[in-house]
Amino acid sequence: MRPAAEAEKIGIPSVVIANSGFATLGRITGKASGVDDLRIAEYPGALGIDNQGKIEENIEKFLFNNIVNGLTRPTAGGKAAGVESRWNPREIVFAGTPEQVNGFFYRQDWTDGLPIIAPTTQRVEEFLRYVNCSPDKEIAVLPPAIRKAVPWNIAVNAVMAGCEPFHMPIIMAATRALGDQRYNLNNMGSTSGLLPYLLINGPIVKQLGIEYGAQLISRGPNPVLGRAVGLIMKNIAGFSSGKNYMGTFGYPLVFTLAEDEQESPWEGFHVEHGFEMKTSTVTLGVTNNWGPAPSPTSTSDKDGAQVILEVLCKELAKKVRLYHFPGTGPHSEKAMITILLSASMAKSLADSGYSKQAVKQYLHENARLSLHEFEWITRYTTAKERSSVRDKAKAGVFPAEYLGAPDDMVRLLSGPDIVHIIVCGDPNRNRIMSLEGGHADPTIKPIELPENWEELIKDVKAVE
Amino acid sequence: MEKVHSPIGGETLKHEAIAPRLDRLDGKTIGESWNGDFKGDYTFPTIRRLLKERFPGVKVVPYTEFPYIYGADNPTAQKELAKQIAARARELGCDALISGNGA
Repeated sequence: MRPAAEAEKIGIPSVVIANSGFATLGRITGKASGVDDLRIAEYPGALGIDNQGKIEENIEKFLFNNIVNGLTRPTAGGKAAGVESRWNPREIVFAGTPEQVNGFFYRQDWTDGLPIIAPTTQRVEEFLRYVNCSPDKEIAVLPPAIRKAVPWNIAVNAVMAGCEPFHMPIIMAATRALGDQRYNLNNMGSTSGLLPYLLINGPIVKQLGIEYGAQLISRGPNPVLGRAVGLIMKNIAGFSSGKNYMGTFGYPLVFTLAEDEQESPWEGFHVEHGFEMKTSTVTLGVTNNWGPAPSPTSTSDKDGAQVILEVLCKELAKKVRLYHFPGTGPHSEKAMITILLSASMAKSLADSGYSKQAVKQYLHENARLSLHEFEWITRYTTAKERSSVRDKAKAGVFPAEYLGAPDDMVRLLSGPDIVHIIVCGDPNRNRIMSLEGGHADPTIKPIELPENWEELIKDVKAVE
Repeated sequence: MEKVHSPIGGETLKHEAIAPRLDRLDGKTIGESWNGDFKGDYTFPTIRRLLKERFPGVKVVPYTEFPYIYGADNPTAQKELAKQIAARARELGCDALISGNGA
């Protein structure tokens, strides 16, 4: 789609071929590239599963005419080149009862399908007491809609989600992370169903009663924090299910983790990434799945630490997205693996001498799959036909071991740093979880607090 | 009665209209750009054949003549590659570009 948009800009008419149902995505992508009304020729069905004969038939009967029309038929009532639209964030867009407000927001496609809290001026201004800057200061410009996130509209979404005003610094930091090119938000609409998550570290966890223990993503303020980020992705960034947020089976709500820094035997995630322990941070990560959570169990022949490590290696070899794990360099596709360890699991590892880095190193060396199996998964579960495993190894995107024999057990991970370890969950339960994601790198931002933060939160019930 | 604000943001990008369409494909040069996904090695040869059968004098520049890199989910790399492809289409004298395959 992007090459077509760039061709249009230099006066070369183009048409984009897309599977059925992706025309709107194509136009949105074109718009994000600065071109209105990109022409899309829809293939009737899913190219990935159709065989060659079916593809040729569908092209002859349907797609070819769409292509020709796209290149030759003018658009009806062609739209003139647009200019930056005037936007008044303080405009009142509707007035009504709470039920009517919900109906209006739902019809505008401004909700996630759940009831919202009406973002009145009073509620928004209450949230703005917890930021350091002007309500109109540009915090981020979010793709794919390339729209401005400012404290005002960030607060509107946080109100809608059911956040408390004192959650605003967290949502602001999360929005800065969304806008960071490292997070690669632009590619989040993949049909693989990429789901962002938040991780919170530092003193703010206990100050605001954010859950980090048992059932953390479902308790306390954690659900509304994730929900606010999801609404910002929808309403400011412009991701909309059915249009350009194309996970085939949809999405659960964005979820929120916090680290159990007190029970963890290791440094916090934020300290690992260069922040002081007393600095509160938000990290945005991404995953294609939530669960399952195996239960490593020591036996007479294997101690707890060894079992945990081996279970993790087996888990990684079962991942759907493993075909991106080994890539390195500027031409590799991004992948990240988040490991959730309950505190008892982390302590078992630490007691056996494993630091966080040592765990990651172990996984890098020992999470392996036969090259034959890796090639099978790549060939039959991903759409990328033009670059085989061996092509990538020859180009230096995959390690040289991927040029080996079919029975060679190749290392799955590009290196230790593809793994991100978070200690959280029920500290008394022997469970782990491994979450794989793509198209993004974990992006961490400090939480900026207003000068009178301690005064503002003095009545907030802290975690005991 | 609750008076409420919009949750969306202001647009920052100027949009351009698309280029004028061709009046016909006869005698034109049409480029192919394949992103490596979704059976382009099946779709493009079929489209190529049909173009040549139905439009006299049409010339098709295959996707192998255009830049391609592995992966490239880096947004900077994606934008740069897209511009390179468009420039290559101009360099090769393309009157139109077929870009695929998306989903």
